[in-house]
Amino acid sequence: MILLNQGYVLLFFATLLVVFFILKKYQYSLRSLLPFKYIEKSITEDLLKQLYHVTSSQKTTDFKMLSGALKIPERKILKVVESMTQKGLILISDSHVTLTETGKNYALSIIRIHRLWEKYLSEKTGFDKSLWHDLAETKEHQLSEEETEALYEELGRPRFDPHGDPIPTALGEMISETGTSIVGIPKGTVAKIIHIEDEPKSIYRQIIKEKLHIGAHVKILTSENHHVIFESEGHSIQLSTVVASNIQVVLLNSQEVYEEGKVRLSSLIEGEHATILGISTECRGANRRRLLDLGFIKGTLLTLEYMGPNQNPRAYRLRNTLIALRNDQADFILIEKPQYDRTGSL
Amino acid sequence: MTELEACDSCALNNSAQLLKLGINVDNADYVIALAGNPNTGKSTVFNALTGLKQHTGNWPGKTVTRAEGGYRYKDHKMKLIDLPGTYSLLSTSQDEEIARNFILFGKPDVTIIVVDAARIERNLNLVLQILEITDRAVLCLNLMDEALRHHIDIDERTLGKELGIPVIKCSAIKKQGIPELISTVHQVATRQIICKPHRIKGLSKPAQKMVDKLDKKIRKNYPGLPNSRWIAMRLLDADADIIKALKNGDFDQVLT
Amino acid sequence: MKEEDTQDLLDLASELRWEVGENFHDTLVEGIYTDAAQIAQKTEIKQGEPNPYSFERKLDQVLTSKKYGFPIMILILSIILWLTIQGANYPSALLASFFLEFLHPILKTGASQVDLPWWLDGFLIDGVYLALGWVISVMLPPMAIFFPMFTLLEDFGYLPRVAFNLDSLFKKSGAHGKQALTMSMGWGCNAAGVVATRIIDSPRERLIAIITNNFSLCNGRWPTQILIATIFIGALVPDGFSSILASIAVIGVALLGVGFTFFSSWMLSKTLLKGEVSTFALELPPYRPPNLWTTLYTSLIDRTLIVLWRAMVFAAPAGAVIWLISNIYVGDLSLANITIDWMDGFGLFFGLNGVILLAYVVAIPANEIVIPTILMLTVAHLNLMGAGDGVMFELESTTETAALLHAGGWTLLTGINLMLFSLLHNPCSTTIYTIYQETKSWKWTVFASIMPVILGFLVTFLVTQIWQVFH
Repeated sequence: MILLNQGYVLLFFATLLVVFFILKKYQYSLRSLLPFKYIEKSITEDLLKQLYHVTSSQKTTDFKMLSGALKIPERKILKVVESMTQKGLILISDSHVTLTETGKNYALSIIRIHRLWEKYLSEKTGFDKSLWHDLAETKEHQLSEEETEALYEELGRPRFDPHGDPIPTALGEMISETGTSIVGIPKGTVAKIIHIEDEPKSIYRQIIKEKLHIGAHVKILTSENHHVIFESEGHSIQLSTVVASNIQVVLLNSQEVYEEGKVRLSSLIEGEHATILGISTECRGANRRRLLDLGFIKGTLLTLEYMGPNQNPRAYRLRNTLIALRNDQADFILIEKPQYDRTGSL
Repeated sequence: MTELEACDSCALNNSAQLLKLGINVDNADYVIALAGNPNTGKSTVFNALTGLKQHTGNWPGKTVTRAEGGYRYKDHKMKLIDLPGTYSLLSTSQDEEIARNFILFGKPDVTIIVVDAARIERNLNLVLQILEITDRAVLCLNLMDEALRHHIDIDERTLGKELGIPVIKCSAIKKQGIPELISTVHQVATRQIICKPHRIKGLSKPAQKMVDKLDKKIRKNYPGLPNSRWIAMRLLDADADIIKALKNGDFDQVLT
Repeated sequence: MKEEDTQDLLDLASELRWEVGENFHDTLVEGIYTDAAQIAQKTEIKQGEPNPYSFERKLDQVLTSKKYGFPIMILILSIILWLTIQGANYPSALLASFFLEFLHPILKTGASQVDLPWWLDGFLIDGVYLALGWVISVMLPPMAIFFPMFTLLEDFGYLPRVAFNLDSLFKKSGAHGKQALTMSMGWGCNAAGVVATRIIDSPRERLIAIITNNFSLCNGRWPTQILIATIFIGALVPDGFSSILASIAVIGVALLGVGFTFFSSWMLSKTLLKGEVSTFALELPPYRPPNLWTTLYTSLIDRTLIVLWRAMVFAAPAGAVIWLISNIYVGDLSLANITIDWMDGFGLFFGLNGVILLAYVVAIPANEIVIPTILMLTVAHLNLMGAGDGVMFELESTTETAALLHAGGWTLLTGINLMLFSLLHNPCSTTIYTIYQETKSWKWTVFASIMPVILGFLVTFLVTQIWQVFH
C-alpha cells in the first residue's frame, strides 16, 4: 500500500495552479524563449512596421527607441538588423535607421495582412474588438502571399479595416487619410467618426467602452482644454483630450443628416413603441445579418413587451413576433421614439 | 402523358446531386422539399403528409438532423425531405447553408413552404428568397385556425396571385387542408400547374441596376439558369460559398 | 463554363460591389421586407381587435417575471424529475424481473442442457446478457418518461422562456442561454444532452455546452445518489427525518452539478475557449397545445431508442469484461481482487476505495450498472456468497445493501465521496462516443472525458482532507 505524504500532494496542486497563472499572464512574452530562428521573421516584420509608422509621421528613431517600442531586448534587435541590412531592407547612418524602398514595400505588405485580418475578424467572426489587434499581430507573420490574396477575395476586396484605416493594395498603394481629430472642433458641429486609433490599448479600451464606433454621428457640446463633451446616439459622452485625440472625424456631407432623435434600442422602456432607424455600422458580420433576417429593418415598428428576470435579455414584439435580445445587441439597433416621429403618426 | 414522363426523368437525372446531399432517391418519382421558418408547425405538416413513416439522420458531414419520409399519390411515390427551419437563406449559418444548397443544387421537384398564417409579413422574407431560387413551389398557409382565433384571415387568392404560386390554407394539426396540399403538390410536380414566382422588386434603383448588369453577364455564361438573378445578388453580397461554387463549376452540373 | 469566364464574372462582381457599397446585404434584406410588407398589406384581413394575444402576454408576464420566473421553472423541472424517478420504478422492476429473474435462469438452464462449457455460459449469459438486461431495464423506463415530457414542454413553447430567463446567468459565465435547455436535457441523459447542443449556433458556446453537460446528474446516477444518501446520510438523523435529509443531500449534489456547470463554463470561456463574443437572438414562439401522440412517438424514436441502442452496444462488452476480471485468476486471487487491492491505497487517499474505482472503470458504458458492479465486487472481495463470481446483482432491501457496504469498510466519508464522485467523473462511454460524433475532435473528446475526473479527484481529496482535520 502506497501512502503518499499529503503535504506533498497539496504542494503539487498549488504548484500546478501557480504555473497555470504564470503561463496565462505571460503567454505573449513567452515567445522570446523560443530559439532565435523561429522569431527572427516576426521581429524583422515588427521592426519594419514600426519603422514605417515612424517614417510616415516624419520622425527619426534609433535602436533604443525601437527596443522600447517593441519590448524586445536591444541585443536581439541588433542581431536582426544585421541580416536586414544585408537583405537591403534598411539603411543605417549614425545609429539612425531608415527604410529602403524594398523595406517600405515589405512593411506595407505586413500592414496589409494585419488590416485584412482585422477586417476578417470583424466580418466573419464574433471576436470582441478589443482582441482584434492582438490576434492580427500574430496572424500577420503567418499568412503567405497566396493566402492573403485569397482572404482579400473572400472579404470582397475591402478598402478599409474596421478601425477606418486604409488597407494597402497588393502593389503597396494606400489611400491617405483626411480626417481631423475630434479635439478642437467648435461647439455645435456635427460630424462622423471615420477612424479610431487602436493603440495604445488602454486608451482604445476607454473609447470602445463608450460604444463609440466608425460611422457614428457626433455632435460637439463643449470643447475645452482638458476635455471634450459630445453627443452620440442619444448619449452624452465626456472624454479627456488625450483620449479624444485618438478619434478622427469628418464633417457630415450634404446627403447625411444628424438625427436628433436617434437613440439606442436599449433605452426603450417596457410597453414603449419605437421605429427602427437602422443597425449601427458597428455591428458587423454574422451578428448584423442575423438581426436583419429577424426583421430589425429600417422603418419597422416595435414594442418592448417585457424584460427577463434580470432585465436582460428583453423581449421585443415586431411583425407580431416576440424576439429576445441581449442589451448589448440592442445597443446596436438605433431607434426613434414617437415624440420625434416627423410624420406624427403611430 | 409525355409531360409527366419528362418530369419523371428529371428526378432521376438529378439523383447524383441528391446522393451527394445524402438523399437516396431509389423508388421515388418526385422529390419534395419542406421549407419554412421555425415555429410554423413545419414538422406537423411533415407528419400529416407522411403519417409518421419517416426516419431521421444527419446531413452528410453536418450535425443538423434530417427527417425524410414518403407518401404515395396517384401511383406516384413522393419523397419528402424536411429542411432545417430557418428565417432566411442569407446568413450562412449551418442550417441555412443546408436548406439553400438543397433547393439550389438538389433541385427538388416541388418545394413546400410552410408559413404561419398569423405572421405572414415576417414569413414572407424566407418565401421571397426561396422563390428567387426555385420556380416550383407551393405555399402552405399553416396554423390557419390559430390565425382566425386571433382575428386574422388571409385572402389566399390575392396572395397566390402576388407570389405566383399556389396557396393552400391548412391546419396541419387537425389535418385540415392536407388533401388539397397533396393534390396541388402533385399538380406542380407533374407540371399541370406552372408557377410564375414573384421576384424581388423592392431594391433601390441603383442596386437594381447593378443586379441587372451582373445578371445579364451570368445568363450569358450560363444560359437557362433559372436563378441567375439570385446568384447575381449573392455575388454582390460577396457570398463566399457561391463564389466557391462558381469556381468549382457546381452550376454547370445544375444545368445538366 | 471556362475558368477565365468565371474569373471575368467574379471581377465584374467585385467591381460592381465597389459601386453598390459595403452594405448591399442591408439593401437586399430591406428590399425583401418592402415587398413582404406590401404583399402582407394586400392579403391580410384583420378583423380588428385591440389585444389579440392577451392570454399569452399574461402567461409570459408570470413565467418570465422576477418574482415567479425562477420558482416556476424549478418547480416544473422538479416535478418532471420526480415523475421520472418515481414513475420509472415500477416498469423498471417489471423489466428487471423479466430479464434478470425470469429469463436469466431459463437461459442458464438451457445452457447447461446443451452442455455449454461453464466459461462460455458465464461469459455470454452472466456477462454480456446480464449487462444488456440490466441496462435495458434501468435505462429505458426513465428515458421513456423523461424525454416525452421534455418534448411536450418544448412543443408548448415553455423551453425558449427557460432559456430567456436563464440567459443572463449563462452570459456571465461566457455561455449561451440555450445551454439551460441542454443542461436540463442532461438530467435525463448526458448523451441526449450533448446531441441537443445542436440548437446552439456558435461553435464555441456549443463546445462549452458539450463539455459541461456531464455535470448534469443523469438518470443513471440519480438511483445511485438516492441509495447512498439513504444509507449513509439518512442514517444520521432519526427515522422520521431520514428520507427528508437524504433528499436534501441528493438535491444538493444536483445543484452542486449546476454550480460546476457555471464554474467550468466560466473557466473555459476565460481560458481554452476564450474569444468570440456570444450573441443571443431568440424567438419566443406563441404558446401552442402540443400534439400528444406525435410527440410521444417521435421522442421515443428520436431520443430514447437511439440512446438506448448506443448504450447497449457499449454495455455488452463491458458485461463481458466484468465477468472476465472476476473469473480469471492469477495465483489465488482473481484479477478483480488484485486490482482492488492495488487501487485501494489510492482510493482511500480520496476517501473512496478500490472497489469503487474499479467499478467506475469497468462500468464505464452506463452509470446504471455502477451499483450492481460495486455490490458484486464487494462480495467477491470479501469472499462472501453473492450471485456468483462476475454476476452483477442488487439486493431487495436497502438495509441489506447497507450491511454489505458497511462490511466492505464503508464509512460516511466513503458515502459522501461516492456521491461526489458519481457527479464528477468521466462521462459514460455512450456520451463519450456522442461527444466525438458531435465534435469530430479527439482532442475535445479526451478533454471532456478527463476534465471531470480530475475535478472529481480534486474535490474528493479536499473533502477527505477536511474530514480528517475534524476526526
